[in-house]
Amino acid sequence: MHELSAFPAGSAAAQGLASCHVCYKLAPASSGDCPRCGAALHLRIRDSLQKSFALLVTATILYIPANLLPIMITAQLGTEIESTILGGVILLWEMESYPVASVIFIASVMVPVGKMLALYWLCWSVARGHESSRQQRTRLYRWTEFIGRWSMVDVFVVTILVALIHLGGVMMITPGTASIAFGGVVIVTMLAAESFDPRLIWDQLREGEDG
Amino acid sequence: MPVVEERIACVHCDTVVAIGPLEPGQRASCPRCGNLLTACVEDGLSRVLALALASLMLLALANSFPFMALEAQGLEKVMTLPATARELYAQGYGVLAVLVLGVIVVIPAAMLAILVALTVSLLRGQAAPWLVPAGRLLYAMSPWSMVEVFVIGVIVSLVKIVHLAHVDLGIAFWSYTAFGICFIATLASLDRLSLWQEIEQCTS
Repeated sequence: MHELSAFPAGSAAAQGLASCHVCYKLAPASSGDCPRCGAALHLRIRDSLQKSFALLVTATILYIPANLLPIMITAQLGTEIESTILGGVILLWEMESYPVASVIFIASVMVPVGKMLALYWLCWSVARGHESSRQQRTRLYRWTEFIGRWSMVDVFVVTILVALIHLGGVMMITPGTASIAFGGVVIVTMLAAESFDPRLIWDQLREGEDG
Repeated sequence: MPVVEERIACVHCDTVVAIGPLEPGQRASCPRCGNLLTACVEDGLSRVLALALASLMLLALANSFPFMALEAQGLEKVMTLPATARELYAQGYGVLAVLVLGVIVVIPAAMLAILVALTVSLLRGQAAPWLVPAGRLLYAMSPWSMVEVFVIGVIVSLVKIVHLAHVDLGIAFWSYTAFGICFIATLASLDRLSLWQEIEQCTS
């Protein structure tokens, strides 16, 4: 698998050097462990595309119950109201809380969906040897890495409401199953981004091309 | 933390780049993909130590005092961070309790404790066998701290409840918000390459 000539000139891998993912030390890949921090050295993340794709599919499946099941249940004077993520956004919008509705819509819908689509596109483009701008794809990868945690906002909001609104029989909020599913989506997409090796985008660089 | 000369490869595109030595305030980015490789922070170790200690104290306050209190129809409910996790657990949502408390308190606290121990050791030039594993643990945990996301979550929740009932902000609310700012500042003063260069110099 590791034919050094298969890597583009100027890359560390073409010289048989692996960059440590923990401490950035550059060392011969044949040495096994990083001489500075002891982490295992690899030229590239092993089976990066398969791992990343498998985790993406998992996240996509989890995203279905996360949206269909209630994320929280409000019990007020004997009546129970179940609300889903999108239901909550619509309710806030109707109550004219536009900024909060937008924050939740961006964090719980646009960010996770955008992130999953971006990672699917990155995996697909690398698997197909796509020629589109490598710099832009690397930037897209950095965006998915940066943005991932921000989808947790809604899970935190539910947690706080559950802890705070607990007034005997008058009003009480309990978490719904979707809160766990959605937390799962955030964690699994973060793992998918971590498993994707952006250097694969540059391994297909042809001579004379500048990315 | 000074950055000494070193040849590294960009983690995003594998281009070999000869770095440094860098002066305080200088940064090095990858010439091919633009990834920020390293930034030299003036008195980085002392700065990280000071900010990490401040963050730890604020986090301790945030866990010891009421976060918020809700008042409606003569009833009052006080929320604290540890009680939040306990209540979630009692309602059968133990997974959620571990996840939330983990990413907003436990992981950040562990990262800060490691940073204090590392920077004190490095500033005093004391080599210890735990420096390297501590550094690895620090970077294994770093993607999983969600302090700033929680601060936004608190603000969103506040806006959601203000029309329902009267909400009092407690000491822990202000402590956690200040902790969030100090925690971000701590990580911003920490440069991965220079920290590992310091650990390498100290232990060799």
